[in-house]
Order: sequence, then structure tokens, then C-alpha cells
Amino acid sequence: MYSWFGSKNSAMVMVMVLLLLLCSYNAYSVSAETTMHTNNWAVLVCTSRFWFNYRHMANTLSLYRTVKRLGIPDERIILMLADDMACNARNKYPAQVFNNENHRLNLYGDNVEVDYRGYEVTVENFLRVLTGRHQTAVPRSKRLLSDEGSHILLYMTGHGGDEFLKFQDSEELQSHDLADAVKQMKEKRRFKELLIMVDTCQAATLFSQLRSPGVLAIGSSKKGENSYSHHLDSDVGVSVVDRFTYYTLAFFEKLNMYDNASLSSLFTSYNPNLLMSNAYYRTDLYQRYLEEAPVTTFFGSVMETIHTDSAYRILSRRNSQKVKMPLQQSVDQDERRSLTNSEVQEQTSDTTKEIENIENVDSLVNYGLVIMLPVLVISTWIS
Amino acid sequence: MAETETETKSVTSRMRQRPIVRLGFLLISQSVIVSVICCTAGVLALLLLPVLAKNTYISENALMPGSASSMLSHQEILEANKLVRDIASLSSKPSGAAVESRGLIAQYMSDLGAEVNYHKFHPHSNQFHPLHFFSGPGSEAIQDNFSCSLYGVNTVGIVRAPHGDGKEAIVLVTPYDSVRGGVGEALSLGIAYSVFSLLTRVTWLAKDIIWLVADSQYGEYAPVTAWLRDYHTPVFGDLGSLNTEMCDENENISKLKENSIPERNISYTFRRAGTMAAALVLKVAYKNEHFEDTLSIYAEASNGQMPNLDLINIVNYLAVHRQGLRVKVEKLWSLLESKWLRIFGEILESLGKLAKSLNPDWKFGISASDYVEGTATLASSLYYQALGVPTGPHGAFRDYQVDAITLEISPKYSFNNKDRRNDFLLQGGRLIEGVIRSVNNLLEKFHQSFFLYLLTSPGKFVSVGVYMIAFALLVAPLPLVAASLYADSNDLNPALRKDKKPINSDDLGGLLKSWKWLNSAKRVFVVHLWGVIVSLLPYFISQICDCTPTTNFLIWISLSVLILLILHQILGSPYSHVCEIQSQEGEWARLKSVTISSVFIGLSLMSVINFATAEIGALLMVPTSLLAYPLKLDIKARSLRSFSRMICNLILGVISFPPATFFLLKGVLEGFEGINAGDFWNWVESLWAWNSATYLYIGMVHLPCWVLCVHILLHSC
Repeated sequence: MYSWFGSKNSAMVMVMVLLLLLCSYNAYSVSAETTMHTNNWAVLVCTSRFWFNYRHMANTLSLYRTVKRLGIPDERIILMLADDMACNARNKYPAQVFNNENHRLNLYGDNVEVDYRGYEVTVENFLRVLTGRHQTAVPRSKRLLSDEGSHILLYMTGHGGDEFLKFQDSEELQSHDLADAVKQMKEKRRFKELLIMVDTCQAATLFSQLRSPGVLAIGSSKKGENSYSHHLDSDVGVSVVDRFTYYTLAFFEKLNMYDNASLSSLFTSYNPNLLMSNAYYRTDLYQRYLEEAPVTTFFGSVMETIHTDSAYRILSRRNSQKVKMPLQQSVDQDERRSLTNSEVQEQTSDTTKEIENIENVDSLVNYGLVIMLPVLVISTWIS
Repeated sequence: MAETETETKSVTSRMRQRPIVRLGFLLISQSVIVSVICCTAGVLALLLLPVLAKNTYISENALMPGSASSMLSHQEILEANKLVRDIASLSSKPSGAAVESRGLIAQYMSDLGAEVNYHKFHPHSNQFHPLHFFSGPGSEAIQDNFSCSLYGVNTVGIVRAPHGDGKEAIVLVTPYDSVRGGVGEALSLGIAYSVFSLLTRVTWLAKDIIWLVADSQYGEYAPVTAWLRDYHTPVFGDLGSLNTEMCDENENISKLKENSIPERNISYTFRRAGTMAAALVLKVAYKNEHFEDTLSIYAEASNGQMPNLDLINIVNYLAVHRQGLRVKVEKLWSLLESKWLRIFGEILESLGKLAKSLNPDWKFGISASDYVEGTATLASSLYYQALGVPTGPHGAFRDYQVDAITLEISPKYSFNNKDRRNDFLLQGGRLIEGVIRSVNNLLEKFHQSFFLYLLTSPGKFVSVGVYMIAFALLVAPLPLVAASLYADSNDLNPALRKDKKPINSDDLGGLLKSWKWLNSAKRVFVVHLWGVIVSLLPYFISQICDCTPTTNFLIWISLSVLILLILHQILGSPYSHVCEIQSQEGEWARLKSVTISSVFIGLSLMSVINFATAEIGALLMVPTSLLAYPLKLDIKARSLRSFSRMICNLILGVISFPPATFFLLKGVLEGFEGINAGDFWNWVESLWAWNSATYLYIGMVHLPCWVLCVHILLHSC
């Protein structure tokens, strides 16, 4: 009797586990391939300090300006600048940063939101941003709140070498760190597609350990090659932009948000003679054809829109199938999967209750005011 | 059975020593050949240094010289020209020109919006303090016996960096003698003024700029040292004003106060900026150069210390590639004409060509003329470093670990050419501006490039790793020969010992024998003690009598000889006769062994303090001490070998006597006509006045070792 019950129990557990596995497998396969592209993010990192690395900040800021122009909003851009050239005492134009010696465009004008600045730009913080493992005190604006429908552009510039990128002149990000972070992101469904663009010396070496699907990588130079600065601003007294970034920007200056230039046209636009290095791109992990993917997949925020009759019904149905991941994830994916369904439903019910509450509050205030009146009258009468 | 096995094992282990030990024994037993090879290689390596010199490069990324275009315009030059004219018109007036020109400069500075202050100082001549060697420059700060009539006034202007943190500063020094100042000094003021006026307006300064107009009435070095000392020793409370107020009744100062009517920025309190990143001393001299405008760089500070090579590099780079100046560093001109050097250079050139024809990748040949020039520059570089006396006011900065050089610009045309003057001011100003802008970019102290180097041309250098080889090769045979001599004198030679029994510790005779070196060591110690006394003597001589250098020199020599005799009587004789009975024949060898060891120790120590001194000392002292052999034995032997050795010994014995070396070198370089016995005294005086470690080396290492070598030569064995 007891044993039978026990065996029955264990059988039930087995069935449960199988169900769970099946369920999670479905969810996984769904998220990897068929999830719709819903949003665009950009993580732009300048990793080097010091005045003579002015160009790295200018690179990053120009790219920041470009992706903003092409439609990624500020709240979806994580901008990391390791030093503040604009306020460096050596800057001839205080509080301004230029990427060209004609000084027509001040990159550091209004509306520049720097999320990580100065000594905050560390390998640790960079990996935290990518993997989403933040301390609780970190505000939402400093987090990469991407999901499995996100296209992320990760741009990095600084001084690099064979399989590393120097951060802050004191530490380095190695290629396996980057690969590991990307792998974690993939596992946590933090992106659908990821473009890693790196402008450093020997940039190609940084991609050597990447294994996660959906990742596209382009670097300014191959192994053993240097990346060079484009030109020197003799007024400011420093080089203001790197070649790879300069020609990337030149490509994008011709585009607007609605252009359909493909990624391959960007990648083939780099002329090794002008770059003085060979731009290297790695496509083996990327599923789509580069000719078919527009540059705005990463550099803009252009999404496929689906016309629906009723917003809410569709939303609830989608929710039940495909789940938005909460930010703080536990390690156990499978357990999580089963829980999230109910959680999300609870969340939605919670919100409706909350809305009701808010209406209640309004009436409460009104009643209170009505009650206040006689009290006021009485008090004046007494006095 | 087992016991015998272990015995045989121990025997074989004794037989088969470790290879390094066997190599050591081999070297010691072949010490003659080894020392000949090493010394020749050492001298050759020294001669090869110009070939091995590398091109200079700017090592610090942050410097970026010449990346910014010059902002100095004709407007600043016009103003500077006005200042030059005003100063020239003042100096034509005889009376009160000094005070007025000071006021004028201060006025010009404060009109630019700079903070200006006067710095009063009492120039005291450098004096020898036996105990103050190697002590900091602040130690001789307070001198009590200055007179009120003797003082100079520096004018200091400071531009604060508009966005900087005020923790760092760049110093620009223009020595200016307000009484005897010529057009050259006025022009140097003009150049500095043009740059200074530009810098008051620019936004890119990250370091404060200090312009020090050093009052060079009492020499160029003294005002800079005085100002630096006061800059680095802040005094709190009223104590600081004590010194300056003591002579405040002086009319000149009150006159000075009257002159500067709008006193908004001019003050008498000492003003400071941050730590100094670099200092440039600017001079203008008319040298009648025929080719083009030239820039001479002087870099040697006290005790052969050099500023960071990067500072010289940026000046060289900007002067050559931006301003089109011809850059020069000091050369020993007499070497340029030397025939044997040219022949050697030609041999090297042809060798280089040969090597290139064998393998096009080998590029070590340089042309003969390049080689001669490189050698002349290298020799002068070695000479000035060895001397240990700074070659200009920049030396004062090095005492505070500030990198500084003196730039002397000499125009092609004479100063009277008014049309050229503006161009010249612009050229000089742009050079200084470029250097300041480059140093301004610096994030830390100069540290990236070399501090230990010898220049073979403004764009070529030999780093410490290369030139140390020459020295190491020269010095290497010393311990080997010392060991071999010691072994020979005690019959400890491993080659001979093989079939003998190891020395028994019970054998008293053997024990005594092995300790006999102590006797020689005592003698060497006494002679070194004598050396210390001799190097202290000049201080007392100069304190006691006020004689001519020649008499001082003679007194010094006679006193030294006297003391040597006394010491010999007191310490030398009573103990030495104890051992005399046992064996006299090995005594000189032991003495030589200990002498050579002391030479080795002395040279090695000196190479750390001042490489150039050690190198020159090694060139003289190593052959002398290695060849030293009693003349008596040589005469007895009557062979060609011993005869040639005797001749060599005599020549070396004469040459390596410090005064003889000095007079010989002076004669070769400047001609034998004007040589005076007092010159050596003057030279020594300058050495001790500048706290040169070379003086200590000569007194405490070189001279005693020479005496010991002479003692060996004259040994009665």
C-alpha cells in the first residue's frame, strides 16, 4: 500500500518533470527563433582615459549621436565614457567635444545622457550591464533592460591587443569574458540579435571565443594589425576620430531612419586602404543574410508592426504563450519557466486591482473634502 | 662494503664539482688572458658606442609634441618687441637701470593679468662642506653672514591655468642681468614675454605657468637655486620675512615700490604654484653662426644627472621639424680633428658596408664623419657628466627632481638686424609655446623615457643597458685577478691543489698563512683613511689661508705627503714587521690582490652614483692596478716582457695620478701653453663647490689606489 502510493507519487513527479521539460523546451525554441523583434538597445563603451585618448570619447559620442538620430531613444542607450574630455583642462573648447577639425558639430551638446562615467567604467560594471546582474540600488536608467525580442548594438572603442581590450589603463576585458557574458545573455534571453562592433587594435581577436547564436561581430582590424586615428585636429591638439569609426559614421551620414541599406552594404563599405587595416566581420553565428538585414536592425529602432483590431486581447494571448522575462533571474531556468506564467497573470490582475484602487482613492479624496466642509463650518462657529 | 661505497661516492663528488664552480676556477687560473680580453673588449665597446646609439623617440604618449598648431601671432611679437625696445632704452641710461628694468618687467607682466612678485635673495657663493655631500639642497639654506648690500631680486610672474587644478606648474626661466644685460638677454625676455602673454589668454592650460626672470648679477645659477629653495621650503609665520626685512631700509626697494604704481598684482610675498612638471631655461646668444639659426641644448645637472630624455626629445622634435632650427649638443671640438678617430671610423664604415653586402638586413654601419661627430658628442657627454658640475641654471632644478634643460638660441643674423628680429622672436616663441603645450599635456611626471643615457647627437642616444656593457667588461677582470693573486700567494690554486691534501685546520702554519691577507687589508685601509683626510684638507686650507691657487695646491700636496708619512710611521710599521719574518716574497701579491678588490668595490659603487666618472676612472685605474708589478723584480728578470711591463707601469703610474691626468687632458684639449699649477686647485675647488661626487671619488678611491699601485711598483721584495 505504502509502496504503491510511493511509486504512484514518484510516477506523478516524473510526469510533472516531463511536462515541465517539454514546456520549457517549447518556450526556449520559441524565444530563440520566432520571437518578434520588439525593441532596440545600444551599449556604447569608451574604455580609455587620458587626454590623448580624446578620439575614443569622440568615437563613442558620434556613434551615440548616430543611433539616436536613427531612432534609438536615450533610455535604451547605455553610454559609458571612461573619461570626461569635455571638461579636461587641456580642452581648448571647454565643455565641447568634436569629431572633426571643422568643429561644425559639438557632440557634447544638450541631451547627452552618460550612464557610466569616469571610474564607473570598469570591466565589472560592463559585464554587469550586459548580464543584468546589478545591485539593487542601481537605477533602471543604468540597466540594460533588454528582452528576448531585443536587438542590441554593442560598440566598444579603446586600446586593445590580442584577445583583450584595455579598460581605464588598469584592467582588461578578455575575449573569453566577452564570450561568457554574451553566452549568459543568450541563456537569459536578453537579446534576439547582437551586433558587436569594436574599434581597437587587433579587434578581430576579441570575437574569437564567441559561440552564442544570433551574434554578429565586426572589428576594425585583424589580428596583428593596428587601428589608426583618422586625423589630427591641430586646434585642439589631439586626434579626434578613429578611421574605422569615421568611415562608419560617413556611411550613416548618408542614411536616415527609413533607408533600407543592408548590413552587408555597411560591411563592404570599409576600404582597407582608407582604414589602413582590414575590417573583419564574423557572420557564422548570425542566422539572417546580411544582404536582407537592414542596418536599422541594430543602428535604429525600426520594427515590424502588426496591425491588430484590439490591443488588449492580443496582448493577453501573447502573454500566455511567450513570456517576458523578469529582470532578476534565478539560476534554475526550468523551475522559473513554470512559475513565470502564473506570475505574469498575477501581475496583470494586480495592475487592474491597482487601477481600481486608484479610482477608489479619488473618490476617497472627494468624500474627505465634503466631510471637511462641515468640520470647517463647526470650527469657525465655535471660534 | 657499504662504507667504502659511500667513501668513493664522496670522493667522486669532490672530484666532480658543479660546472659553475669549475668555470670560476678556469677563469681564475687563466686570469691573465681573461683580463687582457676583457679590457680590450671594454675599450672597444666604449669606442663602438656611437655605432650602437639608437635614434631617440618620444616615449610618452601623452606628450604629443607638435600636434597642436602654434597660436603665437604677430600681435604678441609686436608687444614683445616693445618690451625689448623699452629694456634696451633703459639699459642705455646708466643710473638706476636695474631697478627700473625690474619694475618695467613686473609692470608688463601684471598688465597681462599675471600674478607678479619680487623675490629677494642673498647670493652666497658655494662653499665646501665636508659633511654636506649628498645632503639635500635645503641644508645649506640659512647662511648668517650675508651683507645687506649684496642681494638680487628675481621677478616672478604666474599665470594660473583657467580650468586646471593648480597642482602642477611649468617653469620658464630667463636669466637677466639688469646691470650688464645685453641685447641677447633682452631678446630672451622678449621671447618669454611673447609666450607668456599668449598663455594668459589661452583656455587649454592644465598647469600653471611660472616665468622667473632670474637676476643674474651674481651668476645665473645662484638666483635660480635661491628661488627654488624658497619655493620648496615654505615658512610659516613671521620667520619667513625675517630674512628679507633685515635689509628693508634699503633705498632700492622703496624706489622699487614707488615705481610700480598700479600695484594690483605685484606683491612682495612669495607666490607659489603647484609641483613643477618641467623647467625651461631660455637664453639668447649671438655666436656668429654662418649656416642657420641654431639651438643648443644643455642638459647635464649635478653629478651627471640628466633630465628625462623625453624632454630633450620634444625640444629636438619641435625645433627641427616645426621651427627649422639646427639643434646642437655640446661636443669636444678637438676630437673632431683627431686622425686616429677618423681612421677608426673609416674602418667601422667599411665593416658596416661589408656586413651589409653579406646581409642587407644588417644595418649597423655609420659613415666615418658621423662616427667622429658621435664620438665627439659622446666624449663631451661623458666629460660633463663625469665632472658632476651642472652646465647651466637648469642644474638647480634637478636637485628637486624637476626635469629641466637650458635652451640657447643663437640667430644667424646679428641682433641689430631689425627685420630679422621679429622672425627670430616668432620662431623662438613658437618653439617655447610648443614645448609648453606638449608638457602641458603630460599627466604625470616625466617617467616614461630614460634618465640614464649618453647623447651622441641631439637625435641619438646610448642607454644605460648598452653603455654599462663597456664598463662591466672593463671591471670584470678585477675580481678574477684578485682571486688568482690571492690563490697564488697562498698556494691555493685549485690546479696545484689537486694532488695535495686539503688544508688541515689543525695546521697552524696554514691557518696563519691563510689569514695573512689581513695585514695587506690593513695597509689598504690605512691608505684609504689617508685618502679621506686628503679630501678633507682643501676645506681647512681654504679656511686658514687666503693664498693663490698655486700655493694652495702646493700646501695641499706637501700636507698630504706629510700625513702619508706620519700614518705610515704610526700605523704601517709596528705591525708589519711581525709578518715580515715569515714570507716577504708573496707580500706584494697579497697587497695587489687587496688593492684590486678595493678598486673594484670603489668603481662599482661609483658607477651607481655617477657612471661617467666610474667609466673614466676605470679606463685609468683598471690597467694601472692590473699591471702593477714590483719594478725590482722586473729589473732582475731582464727579459723583453718584463721590460715592456716596466715601461707600461711607469707610464700608467704617471698618467693615473689625478693632477697629472688633469694637466695632460687639459694640455691635449686646450694646448699646453697656458697651464698653471693652480688650475688643478681651481678645478678641484669647483668640484667641491658643486658637491660633485667625482671629488669624493678622486679623493677616496682613485688617489689611494694610485698610491697603493705606486707602493707595489716600488716594493722591496
